[in-house]
Amino acid sequence: MIVSGNEAITFGAIDAGATYMGGYPITPSSDIMLYWVRERKNNPNLLFLQTEDEISAIHSIIGAALGGRKSFTATSGPGFSLMQEGIGLAYAYRVPVVIVNAQRQGPSTGMPTLFSQDNILQTQWGTHGDHISIVFSPNSVQECYEMAIHSFNAACESRSPVILLSDGAISMLYETFERKHNIPISEFPIEPFGSETRHFTGLTNVNGVPDTKNAESYKKWISEITMPIVETSKKYNFYEYKKNSKSNTLLISFGFLSRVTEEWEKEFSLFRPIRLFPVLEDELLKISKDYENIILVEGNYRQYKMVLEATLKREIKEVSVVGGSIKPSDIYQEVKNLLK
Amino acid sequence: MDKYNFKKDVKQIWCPGCGLYSVFNSLIKVFSDIGWSNKDVSIVSGIGCTGRAAGYINVDSCHTTHGRALPVAEGLKLSRPELNVVVVSGDGDLMGIGGNHLLHTARRNTNIKVICNANSVYGMTGGQLSPQTPKGTKTVTTPEGSPYNPINMQGIISSNNDFFYARSAVFDPAHIQEMIKRSLSWNGFSFLEIISICPTNLGGKIGMTAADMIKRMKEDYHYQEKEGVLKTNELGFIHS
Repeated sequence: MIVSGNEAITFGAIDAGATYMGGYPITPSSDIMLYWVRERKNNPNLLFLQTEDEISAIHSIIGAALGGRKSFTATSGPGFSLMQEGIGLAYAYRVPVVIVNAQRQGPSTGMPTLFSQDNILQTQWGTHGDHISIVFSPNSVQECYEMAIHSFNAACESRSPVILLSDGAISMLYETFERKHNIPISEFPIEPFGSETRHFTGLTNVNGVPDTKNAESYKKWISEITMPIVETSKKYNFYEYKKNSKSNTLLISFGFLSRVTEEWEKEFSLFRPIRLFPVLEDELLKISKDYENIILVEGNYRQYKMVLEATLKREIKEVSVVGGSIKPSDIYQEVKNLLK
Repeated sequence: MDKYNFKKDVKQIWCPGCGLYSVFNSLIKVFSDIGWSNKDVSIVSGIGCTGRAAGYINVDSCHTTHGRALPVAEGLKLSRPELNVVVVSGDGDLMGIGGNHLLHTARRNTNIKVICNANSVYGMTGGQLSPQTPKGTKTVTTPEGSPYNPINMQGIISSNNDFFYARSAVFDPAHIQEMIKRSLSWNGFSFLEIISICPTNLGGKIGMTAADMIKRMKEDYHYQEKEGVLKTNELGFIHS
């Protein structure tokens, strides 16, 4: 069948076992809510709440997760900004939830219908406090489906909020699609409320008992939250590498822009991180050694470039594709100019 | 009542004379009276002094972000309809920062029981003006006295087609318990506003002791005279 990225994400959520969605309308992610509502007609176990805002959406999925359900929300830039405190709460609670963010050009209301990749750093540092998230960036409709399933699995295994980072182009893209996968589905790790006498709090705590003035307790607490995320991420070393032995240049791109750069595989080597965070450090260090030039093509000004330069400790050249306009010939020319 | 009592290793933070003792003890007394087990009910709270209540009671509970107890509670209730979900928080949390959620959860008539410790001040942060602060009251952010009318929760809640609203006061635990029981037995969203005191960060800053505040409260509030009608200075309940 032919479906959109948004529809494939919805199917992925359902096939991963999600049964609760809380959402608020926003372009270009709203369709996910509509597809979810459509699917509910045949599956009353799929619960839905259209909330009064995105703050409510993220908190309602945390509540549903405490009720023992795989839960998710879908939003775009401004909504993702509003959700940040809730994402921090999910992180502190160690509850698995999935947040789909179909990026659009910001800041503020920006260019609501157009492609962007400008929420990259926000996935890591949007909420206050030291924080890491597992982030997947699919580049096709089929991959939207698979990464949606992996997102729920990774969330359950790490007990953390996982970000499925789409964009206006991938979410609205229609492609051939097969609703089929062979990914084992992870169990939801939290017994529903009403079965024990636990206390979840966003305060620094030791087994649910607040301990807010003790540096050692803080270090233990934050490590208990973070280490499972780092460990879990190792199972998800997703990337695509197309080596071109004639090229001394590695082109890095992800999401929709990798659909543009893949046309140039006869001229360059190509690397596409699918898991954007935690950064694929080992793979990037190993692969990048073979290249004199590394050029990153990304839909923002310097965001992933900063991450890659900090990881690889070398200069990365960049083509920024911003303002929602993607002109392959212009991008190609900019790449060539950087190599002069 | 013991089964709900403060977890032994939890050091609670409320000041001597705080109205929250009356609210909280009434709540666990009612749970005990109606025979709920620890697993029949969950508590969701916001942030602030009242927000800490969730961590003091021996049930599955969560202490959310500031103002967001209701969305968490709503997701939980939809997810587990058989569970009794009680939200406990303060007036600043529920009516100020969380006001939008209150409007909509009440409108959707989600079967959540809200208990508000209305102490008219942001106590934990040092005594700032809250949505419930009476006009003219001096706080650290309104040193000349608040120029604003307090929020009218009865009016807001009762503007819905389906509603249950009750008002009680911390000087009468028996009345609080009766109002909690009525709230819990209501089939739908209920809001119980318990007029409370903060002797440290409101009373202490305007020269009133806890006893003075209770005396004033007893002068200001009276019991409901006529069923189905609740004047703004009356303690009682109304519903749709």
